[in-house]
Amino acid sequence: MTADKGTVQSVDRALRILRALAAGTSRLGVTELSERLGLAKGTVHGLLRTLERQEFVEQDAETGKYRLGPATLQLGNAFLDNHVLRARSLLWADSLAGQLNEAVRIGVLNGSSVLIVHHVFRPDNSVQILEVGASIPWHACALGKAIVAFADQSQRSALLESTLERLTGRTMTDPAALKRALDRIVRSGVATGNQEAIIGEAEIAAPVFDHRAAPVGAVGVAGPVERLLPGTPDETIVAAVKHVARSLSREMGAGRVSARGG
Amino acid sequence: MSKPRLHQAATQDGSGVLRAATVRSWINEMAREVSERRDYLTQLDAAIGDADHGVNMDRGFTAAVEALDALPGAGPGKLLRIAGDTLILRVGGAAGPLYGSGFRAAGASLGAARSVDGEALLLAVRSGLAAIQQLGAAVEGDKTIVDAWAPAIAALERELRSGGSTADACDRAALAAADGAHMTVPMQARKGRASYLGPRSVGHQDPGATSTAMLFAALARAVRGLPT
Repeated sequence: MTADKGTVQSVDRALRILRALAAGTSRLGVTELSERLGLAKGTVHGLLRTLERQEFVEQDAETGKYRLGPATLQLGNAFLDNHVLRARSLLWADSLAGQLNEAVRIGVLNGSSVLIVHHVFRPDNSVQILEVGASIPWHACALGKAIVAFADQSQRSALLESTLERLTGRTMTDPAALKRALDRIVRSGVATGNQEAIIGEAEIAAPVFDHRAAPVGAVGVAGPVERLLPGTPDETIVAAVKHVARSLSREMGAGRVSARGG
Repeated sequence: MSKPRLHQAATQDGSGVLRAATVRSWINEMAREVSERRDYLTQLDAAIGDADHGVNMDRGFTAAVEALDALPGAGPGKLLRIAGDTLILRVGGAAGPLYGSGFRAAGASLGAARSVDGEALLLAVRSGLAAIQQLGAAVEGDKTIVDAWAPAIAALERELRSGGSTADACDRAALAAADGAHMTVPMQARKGRASYLGPRSVGHQDPGATSTAMLFAALARAVRGLPT
């Protein structure tokens, strides 16, 4: 693999090293990295030394293998800190989780997936996995459907025509059925997910708009299907989620008219 | 609540016909196993899931033992169906619906028979896997319970086809399920919450495949431990 025209090959290679080290629990040696990336050992060594000096990788004293360094965490945190929707949603998400006693997630569309930029645990002291940084196919989660329902027509069509992977037996993979679901979301202002990404887990989510009335992300509650969707969606949760989505939209500069969704 | 340990001395006959008593001791054995290894399952789940698999499975199978104890006289099919209903209600998370629907389908496949042979057992666990795959849409290699169920069933069938006893076939299935669980370590999860971790899920054994290995080991012990 070579870098595209107009890009810098060594930067590309250094970043591929970081991605390789981010996979699994792997600590990789120079030889493993050179084999995995198809690069000469000397090249890999030089790149690693540069990355090490900037604290993007560090070498294990015992094995001599490399792992990600502390600067990668600082970069990730900087990304989150600079994320406007995330910054504005922190307090709202906390209070929503406290009010409903369920987990709350904020997501943005990234390609054809939803990137989780904020996650507040269900406040019941149970152990939960932090989903910040998780990437969920848009069609398999309420967050994604809430955003795409209000996206402009060309983006919406492109996403409906993209590969719709099946994550559970309940994931909607028929573009026509999915389109009807999106139309319903536009009318109701709220999206639900019924075990479409994970068995047993349901979601209720609503879109957040900016000053151009474009959807910038979504806020949603996730929890056991029997609590969120007992037959029809729990009305208290729907109302609370919509309220937070509207409030966030106003903070993002959306006018009352464009802060759609009832 | 009873979780009796089977007596090794009870092994009298390898032909292993499945009866109501076999199903009861299967569920008892599984309940004892997940209770003893609850922390281990939870540890595995903490790496790539919600850290509740051990606690959930312990609660669910304890409840299943109680439910079956309240049903004297039921046949093997009904016992498996009731165990499935109980697991769906009591395990929670993804494991409850998955294991529960598997048990329900296996029980339905056995019908009202009072005792069944190895072939019927094979059909039953195959129905169980089909139900699990319908619900979860997982295939082998996705790093899920399917990675232990599928090889267990293949091994069970191979041993029966080559003329082995039901008990031998269940032993093979248990070994294959354990191997299958180990094989999930290098896999990247493509289903469930673990898939949110992407490449970070590599290097951890799947907790669901691990509990499935326990399930087939419990079946092998139950079939071995009971005289026909």
